[in-house]
Amino acid sequence: MDDHYALIMGVCLVLGLFAGVAMYLSDFCIAGMFRDLFLLRRTVMLRYLALLVVSSMILFELARQMRLLTLYPFPLLYSPTPANLIGGFLFGTGMVLAGGCVVGTLYKMGSGSVLSATAFIGLIAGSGLYAEIHPFWASFAESTTFFRGKITIPQILGVDPLVPILAASVFGLYFIRLWSRDRKLVRLSYAKGYLQPWKAALLLSVIGLLSYAFIGMPLGVTSSYAKLSGYFGSIFFKEHIDGLAYFHALPLKYVQPFSGMRLEGGPGPVFDAISAIQFPLVAGIVLGSAASAAWLKEFNIHFGAPLRQYVSALSGGVIMGLASRMAPTCNIWHLCGGLPILAASSVLFLLGLFPGAWLGSLIFAGLVTKKGETIRMCLKEKEYVERN
Amino acid sequence: MNVIKFDIRSQICPATLLIALKEINSHSLQLEDGTVKLIFLTDNRDALTTIPESVANMGYSVNVTRKENFYSIEVCGGQQ
Repeated sequence: MDDHYALIMGVCLVLGLFAGVAMYLSDFCIAGMFRDLFLLRRTVMLRYLALLVVSSMILFELARQMRLLTLYPFPLLYSPTPANLIGGFLFGTGMVLAGGCVVGTLYKMGSGSVLSATAFIGLIAGSGLYAEIHPFWASFAESTTFFRGKITIPQILGVDPLVPILAASVFGLYFIRLWSRDRKLVRLSYAKGYLQPWKAALLLSVIGLLSYAFIGMPLGVTSSYAKLSGYFGSIFFKEHIDGLAYFHALPLKYVQPFSGMRLEGGPGPVFDAISAIQFPLVAGIVLGSAASAAWLKEFNIHFGAPLRQYVSALSGGVIMGLASRMAPTCNIWHLCGGLPILAASSVLFLLGLFPGAWLGSLIFAGLVTKKGETIRMCLKEKEYVERN
Repeated sequence: MNVIKFDIRSQICPATLLIALKEINSHSLQLEDGTVKLIFLTDNRDALTTIPESVANMGYSVNVTRKENFYSIEVCGGQQ
């Protein structure tokens, strides 16, 4: 193996390990942040997502000013299209049903969750399913693209990124300061070794920055799921997989910042730059979480959940895998990478996530509890708070 | 006192909280007159924040203890 690939793989594995530890200890569940807004009327966890986005925004811009980010915007970001919005919507529904997003599934699986392992299988299947509709969907995305050649809002406005980034950061920091002053960023937990989510948010933004500076792009994992679907599909339907255009695409073509090496990669079942970047990251998150769970003596493989929860996890995984290719890419890529540089496609993805998570919460409530029960449960708690 | 134990380990998020709230609501009268205590066994770290927080908001007392590789959340009646 090439030394450059070995270095990239080593860096991504270490970043993944740190991310896995931070996510497990703080239970940094992005799917839960959106779901709880609709299912439980709670916004507390969304504050940590806001902190993660704002801190990434500031760190990325500081690094850009210091000329540490040679690729700006980073590769695999495109001009906006309604496909971002539709993909975000489906992704939101899928992540709620799956009980975790594309990385939430990984850190929960690392701690022994069989349901998350089920969702992971769904993610791979959903990514493979996309290959079947790729020609139609790629054509739709291409024909509906607007602001062609412009990726970020500053590019669309024709201004230096510093001004809008500064404005958005100041706006975000104002709210973060209010939450900090009112102690709304601190959570009381009885979990052993609990890491406050605000600390995890800051740590994840630093990990995102290191990935951007060293690898040339922030954290992303879902192309590797498409690759896995290609690998598994090839075992049983090699001719069919070989004939699908999606598995021959090479969307990643860039010069890696530190090595100066020209790298290429795509969803096809071959070893390339995507494999070198994303497989170690995925492995790192799972291993970091598993090590944390083992250290806390919480690692536990348990099959006790009702069948309908497995159905929810699997179908959510399939929808999420499909959506991550349609959007294209996932919540981590858009929220922790694209949004901090004000990528227009990431803004559309976020706008789609909210109604998607709402729909997912509605379906989830029906699957897990009897119809209408969730709303009554939440009202009872709310009524008590108001009464007292 | 009647003790009712619920093993809700390895549930999908946030089923742990939803099931706990459902059982607390359906036993609210017995919890308030002190004739019942509910125990929830969970391995969901998020539930160790959300269940105690919700239980406290509803005016019941809560006690969390660590077991082998999971946690036990005890819910009793009475104001905290």
